[in-house]
Amino acid sequence: MSAPYRYYDVRRVTGEVTQIDVDNGRVEQAGSSFFDKAVIRVLGDKGWGILSVSGEEAEFESLPESFIQEAYAASQVTNIVIPFRETPSSLHAVPAMKENPADVSLDEKVSILLDMYKATEGQDIVSRRINYIEKDEKVFFSDCLGHSYTYHLCRCGFSVLAVASRAGVVQMGYERDHTISGLNIRHRQDLAREATDRAQKLLDAKPAKGGVMRAILDPELAGVFAHEAVGHASEGDLVKEGSSILKGKINEQIGSTLLTIVDDPSLPEFGFCPVDDEGTETKRTEIIQKGVLSAYLHSKETLASVGDGIAGHCRGMPGVEPIVRMSNTFIENGDSTYDEIISECKSGILLKGSRGGQVDPGRGMFQFNAEYGFLIENGECTTMVRDVSLSGEILQTLHTISLIGNDLALHPGYCGKGGQTVPVTDGSPHLLLDNAVVGGCEID
Amino acid sequence: MLLSGGVKLIEDILRAAKHVADEAEVFYAQSESIAADLKQDNIAIGGKSKGSGIIIRIIKDGKIGVSCTDNPKTWKNCLDAACASARFSDPLPWKGLPGAEDIDQKPLALDKRVNTDPALVTDLISRLKTGAETYAADITSGSASVAISEHTIANSNGLLYSTTGTQVHVSLEMIAGQSTGYESDTSWNLDAIDPEKTGKEASFFASQGQGGKEIETGIYDVVLSPMAISQLLDAAVIPALSGRNVHTGRSVFAGKIGETIAGDKISLIDDPMDARGVANCAWDGEGMPVRKNSFIENGVLRSFAYDLRTAYRYGENPTASAVRTGQSGAPAIGNHNLILKGPESDILSEKAIYVHDLIGAHTANPMSGDFSVELSSPFFAYDGGLHEPIRTGMISGNIFDILHKIQGCSTDTRTLGSTIVPSVRLSNITVIGRG
Repeated sequence: MSAPYRYYDVRRVTGEVTQIDVDNGRVEQAGSSFFDKAVIRVLGDKGWGILSVSGEEAEFESLPESFIQEAYAASQVTNIVIPFRETPSSLHAVPAMKENPADVSLDEKVSILLDMYKATEGQDIVSRRINYIEKDEKVFFSDCLGHSYTYHLCRCGFSVLAVASRAGVVQMGYERDHTISGLNIRHRQDLAREATDRAQKLLDAKPAKGGVMRAILDPELAGVFAHEAVGHASEGDLVKEGSSILKGKINEQIGSTLLTIVDDPSLPEFGFCPVDDEGTETKRTEIIQKGVLSAYLHSKETLASVGDGIAGHCRGMPGVEPIVRMSNTFIENGDSTYDEIISECKSGILLKGSRGGQVDPGRGMFQFNAEYGFLIENGECTTMVRDVSLSGEILQTLHTISLIGNDLALHPGYCGKGGQTVPVTDGSPHLLLDNAVVGGCEID
Repeated sequence: MLLSGGVKLIEDILRAAKHVADEAEVFYAQSESIAADLKQDNIAIGGKSKGSGIIIRIIKDGKIGVSCTDNPKTWKNCLDAACASARFSDPLPWKGLPGAEDIDQKPLALDKRVNTDPALVTDLISRLKTGAETYAADITSGSASVAISEHTIANSNGLLYSTTGTQVHVSLEMIAGQSTGYESDTSWNLDAIDPEKTGKEASFFASQGQGGKEIETGIYDVVLSPMAISQLLDAAVIPALSGRNVHTGRSVFAGKIGETIAGDKISLIDDPMDARGVANCAWDGEGMPVRKNSFIENGVLRSFAYDLRTAYRYGENPTASAVRTGQSGAPAIGNHNLILKGPESDILSEKAIYVHDLIGAHTANPMSGDFSVELSSPFFAYDGGLHEPIRTGMISGNIFDILHKIQGCSTDTRTLGSTIVPSVRLSNITVIGRG
């Protein structure tokens, strides 16, 4: 007997991960591992049943009926009817890679990285490490509505860490680049040198002074700001559960009229989704238009229960059920030049680079940390400072954006939610915030 | 315990590896779990998962190669990949994988009552909800899960250890107005898990956190909850104790053995057999019999953590500190039950800012230890309890300095992953307020 389901889908991801670790000139690891994982979702008469399998059990050509039964059986503990909406379904083509990492031998990759490693040498540098990762995935998706997709996507990238030490002070410089457009490690000595240069300069940087002040965020950090302060709170699952400060605020002016924030999974950047992980077509979603909250990010389920937004934002790690996620999130260009922003700031702080951030979307509080910064004095960039962070309230901070630059840049990274990590990009032009709460050990 | 098919597979791999490597090791894990997820007041998702994985490590001419797969049937590819990987790795003075010792393989974290009957997780959920009714607040999401896992390690020196373990986990997120509360609990033992308490605490922080006032920027006494202090230890102190970081210039503790690096009553000890541990096992991720390691004793730095690779490379003694948590499944330096100990006192009697959780602890500088992070669920504490809620605040400082600023520790502790920590009272901490 067939299970009395309302919907089912299956996503199987099979692939290979290659990692190379060059630590202080020594190759500590260089090799590949293999995975094959599948997740089967069944929407029963009430809620979801999820079955995750791997290895031999995931090795099927067409979904075995027994897995549907098993996932349906798992749904029997649910006690609420989950609404569900059918959505448009299609696949964007995956752009061709300039140089497929699979065509380059491990020997050659190791030797390119050892070359890059040489560029990290420098005075006071006590530790240097380069890590390479390449994840080659084949994705198979099908659902009970007749949609079926197969695509192949390779994500690769590297990071460079340099540590400098002098007279008991230890500082680090960290650079990374990740992409879907093919091997990206050739001729990257400049980026490696930047990590070394940063670590050296930070030895002489002063600790930041905490307090309320004007702050300029560089494109990388402003991208993290868009992601943490706005992106998460616009996720339909959090809105549905009542743990987002943005619940009930559609069509409200929640920020400066200069501000437009977009999440676009169809953009061929590091967070690219040819189709989302429940088969919905992906497209540009304007979360905030000129300061007005205009759309939430949705899955089929959250679109049905919350509305006011666009589905196609549902993503999961291999073998894990998909949840509402961001992909490529960015603040649109404004019309101020970098020089105008620095001069308009007059007195404050310029924050650069990102060590990540976090948000409590229910409470509406976010925090993120810059790698370094510069004091702005009399409209000019002066002393370098280290360990600067910024925290604030989402609804209050979005109104304090007083200038937006015209130099949008995207930065690849990873985002964690509900125990799952997915590739994303964040981006923005330079931003000027009035009344930012900046953290630092020194206070007046 | 180990299915006979598993033993045969391991024997096949080790036999094949003999022809291509000096030594070989197989780590084989299987697990099965079920879960129920709450969305607001109802169970919206039921989940079941099962999987297995093999990690093969080979050593040839002092070069280490490793590969893993989640499909045991394809072990030959995996062995080939491990051999290919060894070609590139930098050789080290390898002194051998451990041989078999007379270790008691009796499981130390197995509750035989744990199975994949959905009634177990629905019961945990209803107990969470009972606790959550203590204070007026709404559930946003929550989860209960149980897992049974078996892992076996075997190597070409004849070592073969196998064990089975269980894990029970609950978590709950609640909200009241704009005040959020989060709690979780994990144990191997159904009697030790306390979903009612988890629910009660989450509802307390959400409900009682409402109406907080802003505070002035200044220097305060601060009490960090076990959750908050363990996040700070994870961000900088634990990495600085790793022998690999010490020998590669990434630890501020390098060259400081015998020096005072913490308050004179502060100790940090890894005790793999401490009864409060959630996944105790008599051997580490490389099959070495586990032992107690004192990293910091009464403020003095005594030792670092080593796996075999790092110990052999730098001529140090292995400390049985290997764990298998990374993406590649290769053994790496970690800890088992890292216990923070300090002078016990009534840390909530004098006025202090109590910090339940931190937003952004992972953004601390892992090298220098400098951090500034936003507070989650802060309260003014005095007379032994939490009183007025505080609206917002940012705490700044240096994690290594905090080891000198611990004035007292609570008598009760919590086990959070591989750390066992009390609440700690700190003096002279910078808090940036919005008042």
